[in-house]
Amino acid sequence: MNVLEVNNISKQYDGVKAVDGISFAVKEGQIFGLLGPNGAGKTSTMRMIMNITAPDSGEIRLFGEPFHDALKQRIGYLPEERGLYPKMKVLDHLAFLGEMKGMAAKTAHAQARQWLERVGLAEWADKKVQELSKGMQQKVQFVGTLLHQPDLVIMDEPFSGLDPLNTKFLKDILLEYKRSGKTIILSTHLMDQAEKLCEAICLINKGRVALSGSLAEIKQKFSHNVVNLEYDGDGTFVTSLPMVERVNDYGHAMHITLKDGADPNALLKTIVEQGLRVYRFEVAETTLDEIFIDVVGGQHGQN
Amino acid sequence: MGKIKTIVKKEIKLKVMTKGFLIGTLLGPVIILLFSFGPAFFIALSEKKPVNLVVVENTGRLQSEFQKVFNDTLENGMSRFRITFMDSLAFQQKQNELFAQLEKGKLKAVVVIPSTIFSSGKAIYYSKSASDIDFISNLKERLSNVVNREKMRQAGVDPLLVERLSTPVKLETRKVQKGSVQKSNVGQVWAMAFVFTMMLYMTSIFYGNAVMRGVLEEKTSRIVEILLSSINAFQLMLGKIIGIGLVGLIQYLFWGLMGIVGFVLVSVSKPEFVKYLQVQPSAFAYFVIFFLIGYFQIAGLFAAVGSMASSEEDMQPLSMPVNMLVIIPFLVGFSVIGNPGSSLGQILSFIPFFTPLIMFLRVLLISPPWYEVWGAIALNIGAIVLFGWISSRIYRVGILMYGKRPNLPEIIRWIRYA
Repeated sequence: MNVLEVNNISKQYDGVKAVDGISFAVKEGQIFGLLGPNGAGKTSTMRMIMNITAPDSGEIRLFGEPFHDALKQRIGYLPEERGLYPKMKVLDHLAFLGEMKGMAAKTAHAQARQWLERVGLAEWADKKVQELSKGMQQKVQFVGTLLHQPDLVIMDEPFSGLDPLNTKFLKDILLEYKRSGKTIILSTHLMDQAEKLCEAICLINKGRVALSGSLAEIKQKFSHNVVNLEYDGDGTFVTSLPMVERVNDYGHAMHITLKDGADPNALLKTIVEQGLRVYRFEVAETTLDEIFIDVVGGQHGQN
Repeated sequence: MGKIKTIVKKEIKLKVMTKGFLIGTLLGPVIILLFSFGPAFFIALSEKKPVNLVVVENTGRLQSEFQKVFNDTLENGMSRFRITFMDSLAFQQKQNELFAQLEKGKLKAVVVIPSTIFSSGKAIYYSKSASDIDFISNLKERLSNVVNREKMRQAGVDPLLVERLSTPVKLETRKVQKGSVQKSNVGQVWAMAFVFTMMLYMTSIFYGNAVMRGVLEEKTSRIVEILLSSINAFQLMLGKIIGIGLVGLIQYLFWGLMGIVGFVLVSVSKPEFVKYLQVQPSAFAYFVIFFLIGYFQIAGLFAAVGSMASSEEDMQPLSMPVNMLVIIPFLVGFSVIGNPGSSLGQILSFIPFFTPLIMFLRVLLISPPWYEVWGAIALNIGAIVLFGWISSRIYRVGILMYGKRPNLPEIIRWIRYA
């Protein structure tokens, strides 16, 4: 079942098309990545999904229904620019966010307390938000997004500004949440994060979809045969081997791009037979980063 | 609705449980009383001291009449006026010295009465200030009295008859309300109107600005987008306005309780003062009604201003026009206090933004017909809906916009966005 369907939405701000006919769908139980360079239209798209702004045209369906106010309770949203009321007490603040999502005051308080214990902030429950460190405030924001156990979590650039500890903390929480059957959409421009977490992505650039689908399919499609080699000896012969397209030689390491259909195993066999000492032989998979640069960089180049 | 309630609850909790609210609630009445009665208090204080006058008397016949007319005493039994008489020659010799005393304030005034006073009726008044209207008109009345008495005496009127003919008239005022005549003290009603006006003004400005600051805080602390993932912009604005309005009412409740306690204390310890403290109970009801009207009219606009700004500095110029909508009626209100029956007062009491103060003053001072009062209230509820709608359109766009503050064409475009 599709938790979210975005059909051909567009949004214009003062004559500039921020979003220009974007469509994608998110399946239940997925971690879905909305990727793209800064200014691509990720935040505008997410705001329209949350009905914070309305699209000029196109349609968005959540849980199979067109938007209505009650749906907001089933979603947890963490915007890119996020804050808290500095003067509010931590526990009260979380309970307030829970109540805003339709939780009863008592339940919200109880759940908030449990969460604070779980994330190690129990003794801060009655402190004002402004007394917390930035990292702690980030944790409180994550908890606030998940407190009401939404069926769909939408996070806009959740990893930006996090230290390594909180990055791991958030990643663990999100994975656990996904394993409980919930759906997560996150936008990011950090491709290595997306690559490790997401099962499906939609890469947007200049308000349009540049690429979308499951990550595995996309990687396969963009896969080049690249071999990373570390060696000792005279490697100049590699360039002239029949299966090799091109070589980037550093003297003790080289990146070898193979011709389409060439077998890396055959290359390894030849190299060893030629008497080179091999320290490392790695068939490199294309990274999402490279795909990103390929797709987005290529489009930048056209202009 | 439930979520608006959550916002309202949060606003009240955040605002009422603060030191600022406590201090404001305790000091508010003190400040208002100081503003309202401070000037009157200083005048009253200065009236406790004798007034020094120099009278340059060229007719040689008025001194005894002066003694009779300027014979009032102060509370402590001293005579209120200390008059030094001299003739023109002495005045010319001492003129510089006397004028120096005028400027230092040791001498209140020099009055030169020419020998032709009986025919010309003209005298000259020297003082540091020529705008001391109350004192001058008082002095004029007394001088006329002096001159007239002497004229009558010269005409051979019996001195006893002169006394009887020149007894000054004292006005006692009665207020007609709801078909009955009530003895009232003009000063007391006026003072009450002044205190209430002052309170309406201060609380409207204060709570309106609290809405504005609150909106800006939500914007700069970047919580607003998180809130918008739970409710829509209109609900968020409404919740904030209702919440802060209730904080205002809670404050009034405290002040009302303080007032009742004060009244009880006074009536127990000094029962003779109670007659100065009579206020119609309906005045309090109207006060709350007009506070709510004034507040809801202005609060939406303040919210819109807060949403347009991205920083405190941004907010100042934007908030000017809205603050003016409170300040101008307040200033106009002064002239209406002086002349509540005027047609200016009547017209202004129907104009939104003016109604809360001006109609309230008219209700206190002249009891206008009920259809005027409720007609104005109905008109103002219409204005609340209209300005609320415009404000919410601006707010909705403004809270998500950061950067340079919008100009007027941009604001109009925001209002017209789908």
